[in-house]
Amino acid sequence: MSFWQKAKENKVLKNILIFLAMLGPGVITGSVDNDAGGITTYSVAAATYGYPILWTLLPSFIVLLVVQEMNMRMGACTGKGLADLIRESFGIKVTFWIFLGLLIADIGNTATEFAGVAGSMNIFGISKYISVPLTAGAVWILVTKGNYKISERIFLLFSVCLLSYVVSAVAAKPDWHQVGLAFVHPQIQYDKDYLIMVLGIVGTTIAPWMQFYMQSAVIEKGTTMEDYKLALADVIIGCVATVAVAIFIMVACAATLHVNNVTINEAKDAALALKPFAGALASAVFAFGLFVASIFSATILPLATSFYICEAFGFNAGIDKRVEDAPQFYALFASIMVIACVIILIPNAPLIAITLWTQDINAMLLPVVLISMQLMVNNPEIMGEHVNNRVQNIIGWSTTVILIVLTLMLLVIPTLDLIKAH
Amino acid sequence: MKLFLYFSQIIGLDIIDSQGNWAGRLADIVMNPYADIYPKASELIIRRGSFPREYARINWDDVIYIEDNIRLKISGDQLKFSQGMPKCDFTLRRDILDQQVVDIDDQRVVRVNDIHLLRVENQLYAAHVDVGLRGIFRRLEWTGAVDLIVSLFNAKSTYLTNEELIPWKATQILPKLGRMKSVLKLEVSKNKLSSIPPAALADIIQGLDIFARASVFKSMDAALQNKVFTDMTLIYKAELIDQLREDEVANLITNIPADEATDLLMKLPREKVHHLMGLLGSETNKKLRKLLSFAKDSAGGLMTTEYLYLKSTATVADAFQKIKENTNFPGTIFFLYIVGDDHKYLGTTSLRRFINEDPQTPLLNTCYPENIHVYTDDSVEQVALLLERYKSSSIPVLNHQDILQGIITIDDVLEELISLVWHKYKEKL
Repeated sequence: MSFWQKAKENKVLKNILIFLAMLGPGVITGSVDNDAGGITTYSVAAATYGYPILWTLLPSFIVLLVVQEMNMRMGACTGKGLADLIRESFGIKVTFWIFLGLLIADIGNTATEFAGVAGSMNIFGISKYISVPLTAGAVWILVTKGNYKISERIFLLFSVCLLSYVVSAVAAKPDWHQVGLAFVHPQIQYDKDYLIMVLGIVGTTIAPWMQFYMQSAVIEKGTTMEDYKLALADVIIGCVATVAVAIFIMVACAATLHVNNVTINEAKDAALALKPFAGALASAVFAFGLFVASIFSATILPLATSFYICEAFGFNAGIDKRVEDAPQFYALFASIMVIACVIILIPNAPLIAITLWTQDINAMLLPVVLISMQLMVNNPEIMGEHVNNRVQNIIGWSTTVILIVLTLMLLVIPTLDLIKAH
Repeated sequence: MKLFLYFSQIIGLDIIDSQGNWAGRLADIVMNPYADIYPKASELIIRRGSFPREYARINWDDVIYIEDNIRLKISGDQLKFSQGMPKCDFTLRRDILDQQVVDIDDQRVVRVNDIHLLRVENQLYAAHVDVGLRGIFRRLEWTGAVDLIVSLFNAKSTYLTNEELIPWKATQILPKLGRMKSVLKLEVSKNKLSSIPPAALADIIQGLDIFARASVFKSMDAALQNKVFTDMTLIYKAELIDQLREDEVANLITNIPADEATDLLMKLPREKVHHLMGLLGSETNKKLRKLLSFAKDSAGGLMTTEYLYLKSTATVADAFQKIKENTNFPGTIFFLYIVGDDHKYLGTTSLRRFINEDPQTPLLNTCYPENIHVYTDDSVEQVALLLERYKSSSIPVLNHQDILQGIITIDDVLEELISLVWHKYKEKL
């Protein structure tokens, strides 16, 4: 009897196997969440404000969990992608504007990811003119030659690599007592910069494209409502892992950079600044984590974007299709990659401006996507008996409203500053 | 008055009552699918206000015309507005526009961008669905601008004239979850899928989402179900049966070729197989149990137990009779196998070899001179080599006591070899 057969006979082992097979969409989506932009926000926040700002990860966790659970349920219940559902429920005009916004935002996002690749490789002494084209080539091969199963395994491997931040955090010898205290007794400051930072952390945890990706991944996995409990476990583990990684990143930066009053602007700076305080290993591991996160998101972002645009407008899509069978899909994918790479390779590209604009577009899209989701998840014609119950609705709507208020503030505050300055 | 108009051009039009007062805007059109070849408009749904938004139904007979606005014969006070969309069986905006449908002629699943309506004698019919790029731009109200830009670059561009319209009679709407739990809806709109060849239909079904897959499948008659199911890929078969009732699954397994059924059962978890076997008839059960006991890549694992055989005393006339009785047989009917007592294998003959023979000739005399066969534990490669060497399309499988167990036809070998080649190809990558 082979190992697998033996394993299948054993009840406990069998349940673990079934669970591992269900693992995927939630964990991957959660890990993509900690992309170059996320790592930048976390490290800058922790370097500036130290341990006390850690509490913001708690509301981020709840928001992430609520939204991902809804996506998982919608996917499992309808078998349709979010793009499909929006097109079918709200018509082509709404769909068109949402996707135009998403396309632009995701080109910007992808550029940020390649900036992460360039930055982290720079620490190891590799020029961006070598690292960026090579990475883009590798991503292209993975996507065109691979299939969903292979890609998913590689992605899960990536997720495990993100645990490297644990090493960085431990090497930084943080004051764990203070870390715990930050969660139990959150200390909130009421100045403008602090508020923007808090908004930034919550905002980076929940980007509009993630909802589309999550739901498509659930469908591709073939999850139905019968697997709800296992899929929910996957979502929870994904969210916990995401927030745990974020905690370690912030702890690493807070324990070294904040304590020694070093301020930084980029994730790359954090990796460099760690060296004198936490040692060369911690620094290298931090840079490696940044590289993995960037390449990971640089693969999934363009892929997901092309996928849901094709889905909504009725073109063939999917990495299991040949280029001739899905020309629009591959054309979109290639253009996003090429534009993003070119932006990074231009000497003195205005990276910070691109990042800010991307965040603004994301912030404007998020309310639209979230409200659409809330309306659909409450529509019995779409969800049948699995519409939101009262508790889910209270959590769902308050999350939506809070996020909308937060993103509006994020948009309004810089404008007010401009007016004041004049 | 234009003969054809697009749904996107009339949706949202102002509705004016008999006194010339504004009554609301057009929200949707209820269609009667039973009417003719084309569904005919039977009611308008009109909306007004935003918070709360109210809807009312208007009978088609109360409409005078549809031009720049819609004029009614009745006055606005006769309309009964209420909150929430009225419940109707079949409407254009909800059930067709922006939804996926099957294009029967091109055998593919498409998304509807617009609906082409035909106006005859003050009746409105859904004539075509528009699935082209022009439809998307018309919906976005960009037709003018896009046409201008395209014609600047290439005045003869095919885009300018190329409307991608699919006639209604070549369109199969797909069931939606929740609203149409039963498959009733598909039957109402006439099931047009049966005109698609089963293999192409299997492809289409595999391209649908998991729930549409099951509903479309259930809407087909049993004979078509068996054919389409046989043509589906193993993974999709396994997924589909999760969505079917147990008795439906048992029926399918009984009626598809035994070797296909075996492949499917091998793919399923052991408990599920046990359970399913209990639901099958004793004959199918016995047949499948035997096939399941052979290794997957051996001749025994490949073979089917569905073959025609005759006793050694049979004549050519008996053979003709046997073929005539079995025209619906799932396996091959061109090859006949002759067995002695205890089902001991004696020889193979084919229609080609005895069709010109005298009816009284003993069938045994028409057998192939070479006695080619394989044993249940022979490998796929051996089977393939023998079939190639003797240019044959089927081969009998015996056990070591020379008892006939089943036959292997060339398509089964091909399927196995393709997957072998595919694995080797993948290893190289």
